[in-house]
Amino acid sequence: MSTLTCTKLTLLTLAAVVIQIIGLSLFVLGFFPVKPALSGVSGPESFTSPVCPSAEDHNFTIQSPDELKSLYLELSNISPSYDRLILMVVDGLPAEFVLGRDDRPAPEIFRKSMPYTQSLLDRGVATGYHAKAAPPTVTMPRLKAMVSGSVGGFLDVALNFNTQELLDDNLIGQFFKIGWKMVMLGDETWLKLFPRSFTRHDGVHSFFVKDTVQVDHNVSRHLDAELLMIDWKLLILHYLGLDHVGHTGGRNSVLMGPKLEEMDEVIKKIHRSMVQNKHGRTLLMLVSDHGMTENGNHGGASYEEADALMLLIGLRDYDRRPSTHKTVNQVDITPTLALLFGVPIPINSAGILIADTLKSLEAAQQLRALELNTWQLFRLLQAQLPDLSCSSSCGVDKDGPGNDIGECDGNTEEIFCCLYIKAADLHKAWKSCQVLGSNKVEDYRSTVLAYNDFLRTASEWLSRRATNKPVGLLAFGLTGMILSSLILLSLLYQLEQDVCMIKEDRTSHFSSRMHKWHMDEIFVMAIVCFLVLSMGSSSLIEEEQYIWHFMTSTLYFLLLRKAVQSISSVNTQDQGNFMERQIKRRFIQMSSIIFVLISGRILRGWHQGGVNWTNFPDISKWLESEGTAYIKPVQLVSLLLLTTSGFYALSFLRPSKRFVIVVGLSFLFPAILVLQYIINYQSSGVPASSNNATLLVQIIYATLGTTTFGIVVAVPWFMPVRNPKGCSSHHYNVLHVGIADSLYLIGLVYIICWGLLQLLLQQPINSAPILLLLVQILASMCSSSNSDPEPKQWVEVAVVYYLGMAGHFALGNTNTIATIDVAGAYMGVSSHSTVLSGILMFMITYAAPMLALLSMLINLSRRSKISLVNAQDVDLHFLLKTTLAYPCLVPLGLNSIFLVAYTTILLLMRNHLFVWSVFSPKYMYVCATTACIYIGVLIVASTVFYTYSTLGLRKMWIR
Amino acid sequence: MEKAEKKLKLSTNSNSTLLPISSLYTFILHTICGLGLALAYWVAHNVYSVSLVNDPTQTLRLIWVIEAPIVILLFSGFRQHPNQCSYIKAVGRGLLGLPAGAIVNALGAIALGAPVGIQHFSKTANWSILMSVFTIVPTASVFGSSWIEWRRIFAHAKPNGPIDLLICLPAHGAVIGAWFGAWPMPLDWERPWQEWPICVSFGAMAGYMVGIVASFSISLFQKHLKKE
Repeated sequence: MSTLTCTKLTLLTLAAVVIQIIGLSLFVLGFFPVKPALSGVSGPESFTSPVCPSAEDHNFTIQSPDELKSLYLELSNISPSYDRLILMVVDGLPAEFVLGRDDRPAPEIFRKSMPYTQSLLDRGVATGYHAKAAPPTVTMPRLKAMVSGSVGGFLDVALNFNTQELLDDNLIGQFFKIGWKMVMLGDETWLKLFPRSFTRHDGVHSFFVKDTVQVDHNVSRHLDAELLMIDWKLLILHYLGLDHVGHTGGRNSVLMGPKLEEMDEVIKKIHRSMVQNKHGRTLLMLVSDHGMTENGNHGGASYEEADALMLLIGLRDYDRRPSTHKTVNQVDITPTLALLFGVPIPINSAGILIADTLKSLEAAQQLRALELNTWQLFRLLQAQLPDLSCSSSCGVDKDGPGNDIGECDGNTEEIFCCLYIKAADLHKAWKSCQVLGSNKVEDYRSTVLAYNDFLRTASEWLSRRATNKPVGLLAFGLTGMILSSLILLSLLYQLEQDVCMIKEDRTSHFSSRMHKWHMDEIFVMAIVCFLVLSMGSSSLIEEEQYIWHFMTSTLYFLLLRKAVQSISSVNTQDQGNFMERQIKRRFIQMSSIIFVLISGRILRGWHQGGVNWTNFPDISKWLESEGTAYIKPVQLVSLLLLTTSGFYALSFLRPSKRFVIVVGLSFLFPAILVLQYIINYQSSGVPASSNNATLLVQIIYATLGTTTFGIVVAVPWFMPVRNPKGCSSHHYNVLHVGIADSLYLIGLVYIICWGLLQLLLQQPINSAPILLLLVQILASMCSSSNSDPEPKQWVEVAVVYYLGMAGHFALGNTNTIATIDVAGAYMGVSSHSTVLSGILMFMITYAAPMLALLSMLINLSRRSKISLVNAQDVDLHFLLKTTLAYPCLVPLGLNSIFLVAYTTILLLMRNHLFVWSVFSPKYMYVCATTACIYIGVLIVASTVFYTYSTLGLRKMWIR
Repeated sequence: MEKAEKKLKLSTNSNSTLLPISSLYTFILHTICGLGLALAYWVAHNVYSVSLVNDPTQTLRLIWVIEAPIVILLFSGFRQHPNQCSYIKAVGRGLLGLPAGAIVNALGAIALGAPVGIQHFSKTANWSILMSVFTIVPTASVFGSSWIEWRRIFAHAKPNGPIDLLICLPAHGAVIGAWFGAWPMPLDWERPWQEWPICVSFGAMAGYMVGIVASFSISLFQKHLKKE
């Protein structure tokens, strides 16, 4: 039977990790495409051609809003058709309710509910469009698409996690720049997106889905007053009620009819006031952000969900052909509104102008509008296709139109270039004809057609590019992750076989090779299955803290049961002294398990966590409401107990007393510094940012760093090599005891220093959980070292790993990005540095898993002692394989399973309603956990290698 | 019904050891345990017109008030060493086991995440008494304080004979059922039955029933094997 050698094991593990990293990065790149977008906002330069830099060099200085407005007017040559805009958003209204589907009219019941709107449509006063929405069909991304015209990705949501403000160029910003006064009534999402833009606003929550009446009443109550006001230029009304009706009762809810009637009343009121018209020409645009399924849900890409409405009421020159309803894209709203109201088209808009809306303008102005839209899209294309320049067409005056009209083909750049040149040439020719006064309708038509050709091709290409997921990349990434997971798991399996074999050789068991599985071992595996299954449910992801706590506690109950089982084996061997020792061991084992259970429950109760029940009472809320007078003592006691328990654990290292005292004293110093910081600076609950505080924190970082590093480097060299009784002359064993002691000491130093660092970094309220976690891990180690028969090492490692994950949530972390502690990330950072803050943020968030990983060294030390006792002649390779392999492979293997499972789930859920709000943030956390495990395992492995090689050197010298 | 049970018990009292019991007898035993629970639920639902979802405290109390005497009286009849231990004493052990088991169950549930607080106290108390009736009380009645037997039933789960099976399997079934019953609690379905301890009680009762069925089929199967 082939056994794994140490080298082979290491190489294979490394290979698996590398494959995993590659696979993960490929997947992330594929799933969250970073779209190359233009930065900045469109300004006056957008009225110049992107291809041929114009001769006159416009030097635009910063101007007042009014100047800017007139400048835009002058540059664009398009006279604005309207003075004011009313944007009425009816959340979740499917276009089918108003316009019908395909050629069928809207269902009778809905037609009857909206008599006024239908009459407007019939008379041709209103023009209706199906405005196709792109997934995710959820309010906020849809609003962004409507005002900025861009098709968003996830990363731009995730990467600015503190602000939901829309920073991209958008219509509201453009209007704001030309000095428009704007009013917003309705969904407060608008206020999150544009916190400073509105002169007056009244935001309503979309939180209580059951409320279908009050949300809309709160919008309409201001309507009469606002319609009489003359100061605003843009009035946004966002009605949420219809979406709520859908969520509670579906499309055919009994409340749907009355709700539509209510909306119809609003439209009637607005239209009447528009007709009376005292404040200039007003355009009413009725849009919905998305549709809904039969059950009233939305988020996906089905026709029902994507079928949003756009209704233009009050167009000046409407034709009287009702009921042919065109389909446009939702992003087309952006350039249309921009051109209608005389502002530059937002820079990243992928939409195309809806030509019908400009019918009232002269032909020249209509062509100019098309030209401006073309230029804007061309610039955007240039950002994505750097080779697109078309500069060859500049300066060369073509003889006239039609000389090179033909099919455009070639690569993407050539096609776009060809289409662009064709349209530009036709336009130029048309203009020169206009000067001569010999305009032909055909020429105009062909120019419009050529422009539309370009616009349509460009827009389609852009939006396909933004939403398309490169299947090959995703599949390749996933395959890589699966492959690495398989490698890790098969390594674990092989290792387990080897270890079993060795054990049998040694103890010469005549029992069958078939190992009897214990409950705890089965359950460790079952936890993996339960977690993987639970990942499929969005609410279980939101409330993951429950699952980890539930699973870990159950596992400890099973361990308790196993401990009770093993008492019986003691009873049968009636040997006074031996039995007494056994009973004592059982007692220690059981009491430490019970301690882990109790502290686990306290940790669970410390932060309620999650998303849905965050407002439930918990210990941290109670402490915070009592004020700092309660928190500070808790903090001080935690620090004291943490240091004490560190000393206590050190005292187990009996034979080298003096050495231990030196080590203990060396981290007493940072502990005192942390104490000083807590007393002096954390009184107000928020970390102080004075220079002294920053300096002190920096000193603490330096001391903790040097102490840890110094001890880790020095311990293997100076660890007294004690002589165990009986085999004093045996160099091997003597040194191996040295190894075990050094690892124990280093492991303890690691976790105590990590704990001290966390006491400093974490919010004051989290100091007690840090202490509890640390003691919990120590108690867990204690229970497994006192159990008979010796538990399998992979079970021990897995148990500690689970404790770490449960602790991660006990520190108040959730799977939403909102709970990342940003305040702590600036502690001791004197100048703004994204990298440093990022590292600190990572350390704060992954305090618990890292603590668990670092504590593996203590487990390792005990294991090497055990294999010493059992072994007759052990070499370092064997020792490394039997001790180090599990603490590295088990976390990597477990994490690889979660990674693969979650990646698959994310792929399956890519059209789910919550893909952006729940599944994608969770994926970020999964990735970060993976990174955390790499780092932890790396630290553990390198420490062990260092210790072994140092003691190996010492062995050579002793010889 | 109670009288019939007593008669059954009296007839078994005369036997001095745990003895082979006929299939019909096993069947009746299992049916009484199962029917007791069903009856309790029926009474709560139809006589007092409360259900677990409406009023968990009241319903749980009704169920354990009906189920506890059935279980105690029934299992006391099968006490170990009937010659050294009177029927009354066995009943007393069962009655003592009721609060003790309730405390154990409540602590276990709290360790696993059951809410703590005065507003939850009565719910948790009634639930844990019911769980005690399912798990601890039968063992207390039958085995008293025999540490070895307790460990055999609970730590090792090695029942021998139909009575052991009837003690062991439904108890484990109730615990495992309650464990699985806790799973829907964090889901955001906003259903009233997701509250503590409603779905956990449903799970426990379902598990108990499954345990009874399993115990009955296994004891039949074992008898069948023995005959062969």
